[in-house]
Amino acid sequence: MTTTSADIQLVPDFGRLWVDTLFETFLDRTGALGELDRRAGDGDFGTNVSSALRRARQSIDVAPPSDYSGWLTAISRGFLGTGGTSGPLFGMFFRDIARCAATGEPTLGEFSSGLTAGLATVQRYGKAQVGHKTMVDALAPAAGTLESAVAAGAAPGTALEKTARAAVGGARGTIELIAKRGRASYVGDVARGVLDPGAAAAAMLLQAAALAQAGPGGRVDTSWIDG
Amino acid sequence: MRRQILNSPDDVVSEALEGLALAHPSLIVYRPDPGIVTRAVPARNKVGLVSGGGSGHEPLHAGFVGTGMLDVAVPGAVFASPTALQVHEGTVAADSGRGVVQIVKNYTGDVLNFQIAGELAGDDAVRTETVLVADDLATDTDEDGPGRRGTAAVLAIEKICGASAEAGADLGTVAELGRRVARNARTLSLALSAGTHPGATTPAFSLGQDEVELGVGIHGERGTGRIPFADADTLTARLVEPLVTELGLAKGSSVIAIVNGLGGTYPLELHVAARAVHRGLTGRGVTVARSLVGGYVTSLDMHGLSVTLLPADPDLLPWWDAPVRTPALTW
Repeated sequence: MTTTSADIQLVPDFGRLWVDTLFETFLDRTGALGELDRRAGDGDFGTNVSSALRRARQSIDVAPPSDYSGWLTAISRGFLGTGGTSGPLFGMFFRDIARCAATGEPTLGEFSSGLTAGLATVQRYGKAQVGHKTMVDALAPAAGTLESAVAAGAAPGTALEKTARAAVGGARGTIELIAKRGRASYVGDVARGVLDPGAAAAAMLLQAAALAQAGPGGRVDTSWIDG
Repeated sequence: MRRQILNSPDDVVSEALEGLALAHPSLIVYRPDPGIVTRAVPARNKVGLVSGGGSGHEPLHAGFVGTGMLDVAVPGAVFASPTALQVHEGTVAADSGRGVVQIVKNYTGDVLNFQIAGELAGDDAVRTETVLVADDLATDTDEDGPGRRGTAAVLAIEKICGASAEAGADLGTVAELGRRVARNARTLSLALSAGTHPGATTPAFSLGQDEVELGVGIHGERGTGRIPFADADTLTARLVEPLVTELGLAKGSSVIAIVNGLGGTYPLELHVAARAVHRGLTGRGVTVARSLVGGYVTSLDMHGLSVTLLPADPDLLPWWDAPVRTPALTW
């Protein structure tokens, strides 16, 4: 009988570690995300992400969260208070992620369910399918990979590492796609050859999750978004 | 080169809302954080009405907060949707225990953020219903897309739903009434010149002296076609005729007509157009049961007008006639 790894708890303080890694990872990269959006969309994506994270940081500074759900809710509300369409979609994605743990830190299974629920919410609101050149192209393979990894009994570190790789692979795949949803869909062929910034951001946040689980000392490698 | 009465383009919305509230302290209050406009004295025990969207369409929506119309308006930046959190705060503020009707113009960002806000309001045990406003005939195509834009019919929906809510109707009834008006009302617009963004020096598009843009939107979107410049009666007929055809207005029917200035049209011009609308309709045997003429759903300083026609079902007229007291509409 195969043993799943669904009930294994993620590292203590995973919520805070993930959010700290998110801030660190995105801090220097919102400019690059904005540049991708200027080439394929309407150019506001980088600013929207940085203002969402700034808003989250402010609320965390004012009222430091006490548990996983609190940390991720701060990120969710940061995005929900942001303009554009990706902002609110990421906000709803993180809302599901924040709610995935019954108490304290999530188990790997809960995290996997949260990711799957977040993907479904993004698709419900954004109406995007895989191949439409959106964040779904990173989130869908990631959610599928994590589910399989949990079912196969992979340890949390390995499972989240595989998940991040699947997300990065999915995001990179958007380079060749023509957008069917979002602002890039208005520019048609012009966006071909450009990495979708929403998919890139989705992959980066899952890379940050893998690093948070792996422990201190590392740094998320985001050089792949430069092409 | 356009000059504007501004301090800073970044502050134009918040400063104007502050000014509106200072001018009407007995009617409305502006809460800069989270960025909503509420009634000065919140209503009790009635269905709440919240609407919002990008700014630049004043007096929509903040000018319609008050007795007989909205409970809360949620203004975004110029031509940009308010955020989901803003709409959420507005929705919760509009609730007095009997649920909230969200009146949403059909634009991708507005629809998304209001939908999300409705889901978030569910966490606070606030029941919501949505009335989607999609009245712009110029964007009526069979193609798979976002559908018709929401324009000046939103005013009629806010007025009629507002009266019904004030009279004590329940959530489902107010929403269904709003949806019926939204289904039946259509609008068509034209512009002689486009609006200019706060801080910008040139309008969103330019037209030759002999050109008129037909089917314009309220965000500087180009129209569906150019028509030759002509006198008011001729231009107005280009709006009225397609509306009459679309609504299938037969001899003996009756409408509520809104002749709306788009921001840069002065009252003399608008009333010349109103005369033409009236004569055009009565000439076809269509009675104008009620009419409203003025700049209500604007597009910055766009020079142009829209005509909205709504078949005047007998049960709608008492709601239209019911008292209203807001900064921009009072009777």
